[in-house]
Amino acid sequence: MRITTTVNGTEHEVDDVWAGESLLYVLRERMGLPGSKNACEQGECGSCTVYLDGEPVCACLVAAGQAIGREVTTVEGLATEGELHPVQEAFVEAGAVQCGFCTPGLLVAAHDLLERVPDPSDLEIREALAGNLCRCTGYEKILDAVRLAAARQARP
Amino acid sequence: MTTMDRLVGAGVDRIDGPAKVRGTAPYAYEQDPGEPIAHLAVVQSTVNRGRISRLDPSRAEALPGVLAVLTPANAPRLGKGLASDLPVLQSLDVHYQGQVVAAVVAETSEIAKAAVGAIAVGYDAEPPDVALSPDREDLYAPEKLMAGFATDSIIGDVDGALAAAVVSIDATYETPTQHHNPIEMHTSMARWDGDSLTLWDADQGPHNIVNDLVTGFGLDAGQVRVISPYVGGAFGSKAFTHPNQMLAAMAARVVGRTVVYELTRQQMFSLVGHRTPTIQRLRLGADPEGRLTAISHEVVEHTARIAEFAEQTATPTRVLYAAPHRRTTHRLARLDVPPPTIMRAPGETPGMFALESAMDELAVVLGLDPVELRIRNEPERDPERDLPWSTRNLVECLRTGAERFGWAGRDLRPGVRTEGRWLVGTGVASATYPTRRRKAQCRISVDGAGRYVVEIDGSDIGTGAWTALTQIAADALGTDMASVELRIGDSRLPFAGGAGGSTGLASWGTAIVFTARDLRKQLDEQHGGQPPAGGLSVDGELPGESPHAKTHSMHAYGAHFVEVRVDRDSGEVRVPRATSVYDAGTIVNAKTARSQLLGGFSMGVSMALHEGSVTDERYGHYVNHDLAEYHVATNADIGEIDISWLDVDDQLANPIGLKGIGEIGITGAAAAVANAYWHATRLRIRDLPITPDKYFRELGES
Amino acid sequence: MDFLQPTSWADALAVRAERSDAVPIAGGTDVMVDLNFDRRRPGALLDLGRVPELREWTVEDGTGGVGATGGVGGSTVRLGAGVPYSRIIDDLGARLPGLAMAARTVGSPQIRIRGTVGGNLGSASPAGDAHPPLLAAGAVVEVESAARGVRRIPAAEFFTGVKRNALEPDELIAAVLVPEAVGPQQFCKVGTRNAMVIAVSAFACALHPDRRAVGTGIGSAAPTPRRAPEAEEFLAGELESAGLWESRGDLPDGLARAFGERVAAAASPIDDVRGSAAYRRHSLAVMARRSVTWAWAEYQQDLRKAA
Repeated sequence: MRITTTVNGTEHEVDDVWAGESLLYVLRERMGLPGSKNACEQGECGSCTVYLDGEPVCACLVAAGQAIGREVTTVEGLATEGELHPVQEAFVEAGAVQCGFCTPGLLVAAHDLLERVPDPSDLEIREALAGNLCRCTGYEKILDAVRLAAARQARP
Repeated sequence: MTTMDRLVGAGVDRIDGPAKVRGTAPYAYEQDPGEPIAHLAVVQSTVNRGRISRLDPSRAEALPGVLAVLTPANAPRLGKGLASDLPVLQSLDVHYQGQVVAAVVAETSEIAKAAVGAIAVGYDAEPPDVALSPDREDLYAPEKLMAGFATDSIIGDVDGALAAAVVSIDATYETPTQHHNPIEMHTSMARWDGDSLTLWDADQGPHNIVNDLVTGFGLDAGQVRVISPYVGGAFGSKAFTHPNQMLAAMAARVVGRTVVYELTRQQMFSLVGHRTPTIQRLRLGADPEGRLTAISHEVVEHTARIAEFAEQTATPTRVLYAAPHRRTTHRLARLDVPPPTIMRAPGETPGMFALESAMDELAVVLGLDPVELRIRNEPERDPERDLPWSTRNLVECLRTGAERFGWAGRDLRPGVRTEGRWLVGTGVASATYPTRRRKAQCRISVDGAGRYVVEIDGSDIGTGAWTALTQIAADALGTDMASVELRIGDSRLPFAGGAGGSTGLASWGTAIVFTARDLRKQLDEQHGGQPPAGGLSVDGELPGESPHAKTHSMHAYGAHFVEVRVDRDSGEVRVPRATSVYDAGTIVNAKTARSQLLGGFSMGVSMALHEGSVTDERYGHYVNHDLAEYHVATNADIGEIDISWLDVDDQLANPIGLKGIGEIGITGAAAAVANAYWHATRLRIRDLPITPDKYFRELGES
Repeated sequence: MDFLQPTSWADALAVRAERSDAVPIAGGTDVMVDLNFDRRRPGALLDLGRVPELREWTVEDGTGGVGATGGVGGSTVRLGAGVPYSRIIDDLGARLPGLAMAARTVGSPQIRIRGTVGGNLGSASPAGDAHPPLLAAGAVVEVESAARGVRRIPAAEFFTGVKRNALEPDELIAAVLVPEAVGPQQFCKVGTRNAMVIAVSAFACALHPDRRAVGTGIGSAAPTPRRAPEAEEFLAGELESAGLWESRGDLPDGLARAFGERVAAAASPIDDVRGSAAYRRHSLAVMARRSVTWAWAEYQQDLRKAA
């Protein structure tokens, strides 16, 4: 089947998609966007988190056909004009990135939180990132990164 | 050495950070081999022991898009000398459940998976023998342990001293099978050009993988190139070659084009190793003041039928505390299980759970503060090797940690603090891990403009090595980081051992320092201190262990202090806060090091409360073989963790003075949690993980 | 495999009737796992994500004859099968507090944005988080086929076995009809970690002061989600005979405990990797005691909802 989806502001059209493919597979294998990661295949780890029509979802659990005509934003779409988004900057600066495999999903989830809640409490941060597993960092620096990005964002 | 002060120690942002946050860092699966890629999927045995009696690939072969089906009948013959489960598809014998018995190569992963489903396999199977028990009659003593440690160590009259001890404890602790589960699944992509093989691979050290490919495919080292710049976590599972690398290379050879094999998450539970379960009997004898008179640590663990892996579980007991009479032993059961392998601090992680739990139990019997008990048993010299320490600051870690945590005035009584429905307690445990280094080679080139290229086959599996090595190189070269380009993760680069055993920075960093010294000497002596217009390139080598390793005992240390809360109605456990203080020698990058130490400790909390692969002893498989059922800690499970380190510079270990930080954080962490759990509840859980149901099991209520 | 994507409810039913080999997919949080793990390869996926009727919820008053066992003259929420958990949390916390509490504990934010009650009912896992509050509230599942029209099945009769439900092959779940709360509702769940938890056991209770009744729902502790009818009748009767419904006096601790024991007795749990049968029973007793204590405290304070 043919899938036409807007990803990071650009319309992508791909053919011969098997009906059982996930949005994650289509992004990675067919659209040349490997930023979102395949890591658990069951919505447990959050490494494939992308925006689907403005909401963060696990791309591994979205059937490719369900994304037809929708707007998708992946980690590759967070930076604008070559500049890192403040959340991305904060992740590097706070030491929230280690192996980097969970990072793309965490960034989308954190980006979404700060869009909705500019000054989140620790509990809100933890809740927003509850669906993203990290095996390297112990999470502490990830929480720091979100706090840092929020603080930066608050400054004019 | 003013430049040393400038970069080593600084909390520099990680060099690979921007590419990772953009999602553009190419991991193994995302590399471009320059041609269309075929996909590999595998059929795995459903029995633990036996022989394939029937294997019909014809339906799979007939599916459109299937390029090849490899079976023991038609797979290329691999060279002799491959160990463990690396002779993939070379025989009809089955040695563990999940063993690869056939592989499909197809145009897409979907076709490959469909073809896997079309392959019928029959077995002549024997019942699985997978249950570890200290009562097994077939337990045996391996010749030696991993990393060359002796199987047993016996000093003095342990049984006599235990019998004579005024105070003693005798307890058995159990740790379960654990799986590494790095977030990136193991992935190998192979391309052949004539008789030359290129493998883009998720591993902890390309040179480790090259050797097995050379052996398996009868090649020269120069005909194999393994490329692994970005690796999505490893923790030991990616240290050595597994069937995936052999399969990808074999399949690519058969179909004549690039083949990629990305394991599924479920395959991560059978094909890439695990931490052995352990059953450990600890006996301690002490005088009334708490001075240990005897320590006995007897370990039972498992290995696979086809490979001996003897985890060095009791080795921390050989160094941590003073006692005149001491014994450590290791016994193995050969079971129908996949080959175990190293997992973060192999040996120390399960061993320290037992030792540090037992020390806590002894403190309870003595009515002594468990910090004080440890301080009273601080040895002046390595108690078994009878050597001086290079540097040892365990007592300082304990004292500093106690102060930061607010340990003073702690009520020794268990089960007396409540906040609402929560029972609250605190616990302590020590941490230790050996400091070692290994052979490594390095090449440093400088061009006429003073720009340096440092080449070494080191690995950054998320540790921060890329950044820390660049700092070390810049200091050693007397330049800034922007003038240094570090190349790692490629077997074409000068030889180095993989990331593992906390030896990475010690080995690679020292090789860089030695080579940089040589380069600067040549610049000074032959070029007036300036890089010549045509540039200069120098090869250097670190032969291996420190010359002082024979005369000094070298270890990193730490102390963990943990608060635990247990819901007295439901048995649910929380770890709201913890303090860890480390003696890990020089800290090269304060930022990446902090994350490494936090991550290690958190994996210890995860081990204490969640992790364990449950074996179905009737059918021989791991029941919880995915991330929905094999629980690792989520962010909500990790509270506030205070990490700090002492100012230590261990020059006897290496010229950077570092001890390694990858493992020290996890050692002892689970014991600290279990000890705090006891303090909260009066219940001693000796078998991990501490799940809610065990609260009621211990209360005798269910 | 075909991908069938009807854009109206009528079309969806027609496709369902025609393609018995199609697997309905809503949020994908169960179906996609099966596909990703290659546990099944159906002839087609029937995507219900573009059926607008399924994504709405409405309130029907008590005379609307929706057939729910709701309060006398009370309103009923008709919750489209495709409304995701995140919207239940945002929109229905006051009307369906028990279900909203359960929705908050589902998986993760990403899962709650996609997952639906219809999908939960379709999968019919004994561990489905939505089931206990639906049972406690006396909800009714509305299913429909092109050939035979609408059937309404009380939630308590909907679950027929482990991951089996009362749906016929040509039927789809249209909605669930949940009586609006007229009294306090609670939901509790225990797991082995602090987030992303599949329930080791779960419990929901609802007080129905209007008809002086108590509702319960047990999750993850029997082959199907189930009520604890004896516990419901016991507690309602004790409250009645002590005049507590009217006096709103304190709930005796012994009564909450006895209720908890009866709830535990209604379960038939198994040992598995998530927890032992004994622990499941024990935790149910704890959760039932706790939740009814909280619910009663709320009832005492909430004179607004006096029957």
